[in-house]
Amino acid sequence: MKALEQLKDTLKSKFGGNIIKFESPLEDRLFVDVKKEGVKGVCKELFTQGGRYLVGIGYDNTKRDNTLGMIHTFAFDKDSTVICVRAWVPENDPVMDSITPDVPNAGWSEREYMDLLGMKFTGHPKPKRLVLSDDWPEGIHPLRKEVPYNLVPPPAENVAYQMDECPEGCSVVPVGPFHPSLHEPNHWSIFVDGETIKGCDYRGFMTHRGIEKLCTTQVSYNEVPFIAERICGICGSVHATAYAQCVEMVADLKISRRAEFIRTIMLEIERLHSHLLWLGVAGHLIGFDTVFMQSWRIREDIMWLCEKWTGNRKTYGMIVVGGVRRDITPELKDDMLRVLKKVEEECIVVHKAIIGDTTIHKRTKGVGYMTHEEAVQWSIVGPPARARGVDIDVRRDHPYAAYDAVKFDVPVVDTNDVWGTVVVRILEIFEAIKIVRQALDQLPEGKIITEMDDVIQSQRHAISHVEAPRGESVHYVISGDENRADRWRVRAPTYPNLQGVPTMLLNDQFADFPIILGSIDPCFSCTDRVQVVDIKSGKVNVMNQRDLERMSRRA
Amino acid sequence: MEAVYIIVNLLVFLGLAPLFEGIIRKITAKVQSRQGPPIYQPYMDIFKLLGKTTINSADNWGFKFAPMMAFASIVSVIAFFPLANKANYLTQYADIITIIYLLTLGGIAVLLGALSSKNTYAMIGASREMITMIMVEPVLAMTLIMGAVKMKSLGIDITMFSINSVGYGWSVALMLVVYLAALQAFVGRPPFDISEAEIEILEGPFIEYSGPNYALFKYYMMLKQMFYAALFVMVFIPFLNTGIYIVNLAVQIVEIGVVFGFISLIGSTNARLRIDQAIKFYSVLIVLALCAVGLSVYGI
Repeated sequence: MKALEQLKDTLKSKFGGNIIKFESPLEDRLFVDVKKEGVKGVCKELFTQGGRYLVGIGYDNTKRDNTLGMIHTFAFDKDSTVICVRAWVPENDPVMDSITPDVPNAGWSEREYMDLLGMKFTGHPKPKRLVLSDDWPEGIHPLRKEVPYNLVPPPAENVAYQMDECPEGCSVVPVGPFHPSLHEPNHWSIFVDGETIKGCDYRGFMTHRGIEKLCTTQVSYNEVPFIAERICGICGSVHATAYAQCVEMVADLKISRRAEFIRTIMLEIERLHSHLLWLGVAGHLIGFDTVFMQSWRIREDIMWLCEKWTGNRKTYGMIVVGGVRRDITPELKDDMLRVLKKVEEECIVVHKAIIGDTTIHKRTKGVGYMTHEEAVQWSIVGPPARARGVDIDVRRDHPYAAYDAVKFDVPVVDTNDVWGTVVVRILEIFEAIKIVRQALDQLPEGKIITEMDDVIQSQRHAISHVEAPRGESVHYVISGDENRADRWRVRAPTYPNLQGVPTMLLNDQFADFPIILGSIDPCFSCTDRVQVVDIKSGKVNVMNQRDLERMSRRA
Repeated sequence: MEAVYIIVNLLVFLGLAPLFEGIIRKITAKVQSRQGPPIYQPYMDIFKLLGKTTINSADNWGFKFAPMMAFASIVSVIAFFPLANKANYLTQYADIITIIYLLTLGGIAVLLGALSSKNTYAMIGASREMITMIMVEPVLAMTLIMGAVKMKSLGIDITMFSINSVGYGWSVALMLVVYLAALQAFVGRPPFDISEAEIEILEGPFIEYSGPNYALFKYYMMLKQMFYAALFVMVFIPFLNTGIYIVNLAVQIVEIGVVFGFISLIGSTNARLRIDQAIKFYSVLIVLALCAVGLSVYGI
């Protein structure tokens, strides 16, 4: 880790006075404790050194030393390292410099803690409400420890989020909160001149129900993977794996090699499923329903296979802390190889059909244009990044599970548009099939669950990221007492990608809005961190019909 | 007696238009490896919509009036139509200008409904519909005018059956290609279902419509697409004229069915284009249609 040492030296020499200490519990993780005055400088330095902004984690530390914590995390993909910049502000004066002017992708992370923790970030370009609903009272910050998880403040009338001002000469087309191209509730104001998009504003987090709060107050470590899996209906195992890896890190637990291989197979099958699903949705978004129906038919075999393996067509419930729940029998292995063969053959046909289809070219080439530099600037992840020549993939750059044992290519194209994301995703289907075959081939013997003997120590930090089909999911866990995490932060891939969408939309046609938004494979509810099926929290804070009518009619 | 043919016209069109719609859906489903709805589903759709409460959500006369105007205009066109190569009582009282006028009136009614529904998506849909109308109506007009130029008459039956008397020439062949290329736009199917574009503007002009009003619009769309298919059969495939009315009718209905098969295959194997891309396509068609008329002036 020579690069890491160099970086340490640079930081020491430039910000020596502000740096409290370095800590490196694992060789690919570096925690830098910084005085709050130094945060802006250190983050800017890391970002200019090529760090990719992951996520900000704010947490309530009042019980211990009367502070609120803020952690900015950066990934150095070439060096397989993650650097976390930790800082604290006193609870009675929770003010910190905003790093958003230098690191645009930090915008939402900071806004989130303005809402949830009551922190203030000086110099933030857009300090509007992000997460909390419009009628949530000022001064109640749900992530503070003293706020109960099931608090339901009285609803208020006549409050509404103020969308940004429409620019001169444009008119507003409201999209959402419910709209066929969105699939999930969120609201866009699209500013159009004729049919050309000149700008937009986004109001999401309509399904935010505080899953992080729930899991740090009500349940224990072992139950969370199943809840984590329900953050997203499509990349559920990704969230469960990322969480489980975090807990294994804080517990110093090494899981068996067989479990790692099975996790890899699970994740790749999930990727196969997700990419076929996306391909179908993308076909529908550009009005090509035959692509939609055919790729969903191909997908059906995978769901059938998963049902046989895990008992569920989706939301597999496979990943637990310490391993996986179900083994792969020889019979299942044969089934898997057979299904993969069939899927591969059919995907080759689809691939050929799509590559040669002129209407698809017309609808996707040059659409949703974003330069390589902008993609890096906005820390875009996953296929949207790889379509813009950003060569990142967590599976290769920061190997986890058994990805170090399999060989695969990371498809990268530089068309900088929606077409690129189509190509990348189709090629990834074939790579995923390749990975599953190799993993099945090398599957070592062993147990599938490793038991944990010791109690997990409190106040240990761990960050883990997993390449979801739509990009990189980041989880951060701070261990706590009572056998549960003190803070658990989830960042779905849509979180950074969605922030880059306004750039992609600029100067495109309104008719392209669905496919441009679709090209990031948005998962709004993951970003909102909702539980789709939740019997534990019981209470549902939904907007009533009148709110929705008012919102949809206002513009 | 010739008045009977008017009734036959109306019965055939009103009775079979939903069936052809059902055929389109079924073929599309087969292409997409689906089972698809039963072939009589469009009849059920219309019956169901007709049985619902009328909601005048825009609360103005234009909104209420538009579906009836659209439906009435297409029914009048059909009444003049010399189906099965037989001019009926009304045909002699109208000419091709009337046909073009009435077809455009139907489009205007859709615009009227969209604009009076005061919905943002309907507005976008209306603007797209208007562009489509302006760009593809000329192709229809040229098709009929070409016959008129050849026969030196504006009479409906005379122009439509011009090929019977003057035969196939280069101009007709060119026009046939242009008409086929414009067919998807005439009937609002992919890749030219731009003004309805469910995914971005949610059926555009019809977004505020429901119940009987929507049923009328739906019926109007089905009749319109059957009319354009029938017009193609009438103008470009006039060869199977047996002289017996019933046989002619049966043959033409089968031919219309074949055209519908063509429409659904094109529709299910293409993505929807954007309006700016469609405009470029349409303008090429207009130029080609003009060329065809120009050729026909010189008798080619």
